[in-house]
Amino acid sequence: MSLFNQLLINGIIAGAIYALVASGFSLIYNACKFIHFAHGAVVAFSAYIAYYFFSTLNINFGFSVLFALIFACLLGWAMNHFVYKKFRERKASNSILLIASFGLLILIESLILILFGADVKTINYIEVAKGIEIFGAIITPLQILIVVSSAVIFIGLFLFMKKTKLGKAMRAVSNNKDVAEIVGINSETIYSWSFIIGSLIAGIAGILIGLEQNLEPTMGTSLIIKGFTAAIIGGIGNVYGAIIGALLLGLAENFGIWYLPSGYKDAIAFIILFIFLLFKPKGLFGTKREGDKE
Amino acid sequence: MLKIQNLSKNFGGIKAVNNCSFEIGNGKITALIGPNGSGKSTIFNLISGVLKADSGRVLFDGKDITNLSVDKISNIGISRIFQKSRLFNNLTIKENILLAFDNEDEKFWKSLFGLNNHTNEKEEKIKEMLKFVKMNEHERKYARNLSFGQKRLVEIVRAIINPHKLLMLDEPVAGVTPLLRKELSEVLLKLKEKGETIFIIEHDMNFVLNIADEVVVMDEGRIIAQGKPQQIKKNKKVLEAYLGD
Amino acid sequence: MIEAYFIHLLILIGIYLILAISLQISMGFTGMLNLGHIAFFAIGAYTSALLTLNGFPFWFAFLSAGILAMIFGYILSLPIKKLKGDYLALATMGFSFVIYAILLNWTELTRGSLGIPGISKPSLLGFNFSSNFTFLILTFIICVICYFLIRRITHSPFGKVLESIRDDELASKTLGKNTSKAKSLSLMISAFFAGLAGSLYAHYITYIDPSSFTIMALIPVLCIVIIGGLASLRGTFIATIIIVLLPEPLRFIGFPSSIIGPMRQIIYALLLIIILLYKPKGIYGKVEIE
Repeated sequence: MSLFNQLLINGIIAGAIYALVASGFSLIYNACKFIHFAHGAVVAFSAYIAYYFFSTLNINFGFSVLFALIFACLLGWAMNHFVYKKFRERKASNSILLIASFGLLILIESLILILFGADVKTINYIEVAKGIEIFGAIITPLQILIVVSSAVIFIGLFLFMKKTKLGKAMRAVSNNKDVAEIVGINSETIYSWSFIIGSLIAGIAGILIGLEQNLEPTMGTSLIIKGFTAAIIGGIGNVYGAIIGALLLGLAENFGIWYLPSGYKDAIAFIILFIFLLFKPKGLFGTKREGDKE
Repeated sequence: MLKIQNLSKNFGGIKAVNNCSFEIGNGKITALIGPNGSGKSTIFNLISGVLKADSGRVLFDGKDITNLSVDKISNIGISRIFQKSRLFNNLTIKENILLAFDNEDEKFWKSLFGLNNHTNEKEEKIKEMLKFVKMNEHERKYARNLSFGQKRLVEIVRAIINPHKLLMLDEPVAGVTPLLRKELSEVLLKLKEKGETIFIIEHDMNFVLNIADEVVVMDEGRIIAQGKPQQIKKNKKVLEAYLGD
Repeated sequence: MIEAYFIHLLILIGIYLILAISLQISMGFTGMLNLGHIAFFAIGAYTSALLTLNGFPFWFAFLSAGILAMIFGYILSLPIKKLKGDYLALATMGFSFVIYAILLNWTELTRGSLGIPGISKPSLLGFNFSSNFTFLILTFIICVICYFLIRRITHSPFGKVLESIRDDELASKTLGKNTSKAKSLSLMISAFFAGLAGSLYAHYITYIDPSSFTIMALIPVLCIVIIGGLASLRGTFIATIIIVLLPEPLRFIGFPSSIIGPMRQIIYALLLIIILLYKPKGIYGKVEIE
């Protein structure tokens, strides 16, 4: 009974983290309509920046986090401005953008390797606290923080998309770019903003992961895979679907390693990705993609 | 030759094709006309297997071909062109047309051992057909380097060479110069003389009324009239559909 | 010393050439965004290594590497038939990760991250290709044969069917071509030659472990294919030489070896982005990525 609860809690915690990655990714995909692989690199790099400021330069934790988040936003914005925008100017297809994004991911991960080395690191801000027991499962204060802050961010995201002018404009562009432009929305501005906001969320994810788990240079790759798997489970085109997809993924992974050797944890995500791409490419809540029909 | 029975197709609540039935006769040119959005291309797509019908049947020479795959329908004897130009842009005109003759080229092992290379016969036939549409000098050009009108001609040649009993042309003369339009109508009439059965979607009423034997009229997914061109010209419902009440 | 270095580079060029022209089949000629290519390279390497370590002769291991990779190519082709563009890219990438996860975790077979050491140098008909120079000769011969075969396939009528699928799959179907079957074959043939390259790699480096077969390993190959120009075999040849030689000066600048690896990746990644931006058709540009 309590093993089940433990797996459940672990699944929710993992799901919360993946949801942070997936929601930012989904936001960007919705606006710009291509797979921004390098999103994983933003998560990773922000975590490393927080680590660098806090653990290496011994700067106050709060400021380290602030710098890391600003850095995340800048990195995301810069990738759009200096790379993706140029491709859009040349009318590149979204397959080309995908390959370019893949290149960016590898570029940044290699940069992280060079700057920080391959060894595993952690941000030791919160002492390894004793977990508290809830319903027979152990959960640490940090993990509670992760779940709670994710929930807060998602509610914030929801309100942002629904109530603010920028949020509505982003939805308009994601729905129908041409019509949105006719009513005066500048799609390039919207793209910039979606990268900034999406990358901000990615930065938060990176820092939380850095606190809870370890940092290693290729963490970006595995996180973005979980991210887009979650987005596809939920239905690409639906940010909230991505969040639910992430929760389901987290649960599937944790219950999955009950049966499988733990090394296969990552493989579970890939296999689920595969299954959805084959049988339910629109995901659970997905809307139709442009250009789906022959 | 081709019988459509109660064919229907919905797109999320919109009845693009609503319970349509008609027949295409052997050796005739049948035209499908109607205002924009009336469902003409959808009918073509349903027949040729690009779209799956929600209900109804398509019978070809008595055989039920409803919902067969695109390639099977092509191999059964229906050859078509699309509204949008669909040549293989990175291949030459000659290579584009060579693909149409037969499916020997699908055989990997034969290709590896050089057993399915192109015959002189095929080369001659290509030259002949290109001359027929006055495009013979362009044989070695890459498809992407042709003008729109030239592309259309090549596509029609390709569709003709593709072994078929029925030729379906979706707006063959749309966007083409008046001179080319005239040449094409001559080409189609010559084909009819050779016994071809042609099913054509067109907007150009003059073009249609000059060459068609039968006309089928659609509006908002339904068939609103069928008959000889002269009858259709005078049909009130048709005029209403095109001009509004 | 210098000789040994050049021989080493030439061998690498040979192996990468086979890996790249095999990717051209599925990507350049058939238009499939096949990001799973490294998986076939890995399957070939491990198959060949394990077979020779268990007493099988090299020629058998070499061919089995290709055949087993080809079988996996077939297996992959089944579920991805209906996928296009970025979904196809994701699925093939996912396949690459699954294979990597298996190589890492199925320790009874692959020894996981410990890798497989002590792979023998190839020996054929009693002759042992033990020196690097003789290995170069072997690589060269295999390279020439593969290049010739792939050229023949891609320039044949079957090759034109593949190109028609790349340019307009629906139009190809409308001409009666069974495009699913052709795509399947394309992926299988692509995988076969990648598997052969994997075998050569294993017997050259004599030690393999999963870290050589991550998704990162795809970047140089992708670079070659795009810089050379999709569907251009000649271009691929030139691009391979460029890509293998380009980061070599880094060695002489005196960077520590832990830096050289990621620096090479950075160079390749930058090159990829720049070429896609400014010369997407590559050197012998005929085709652009759709």
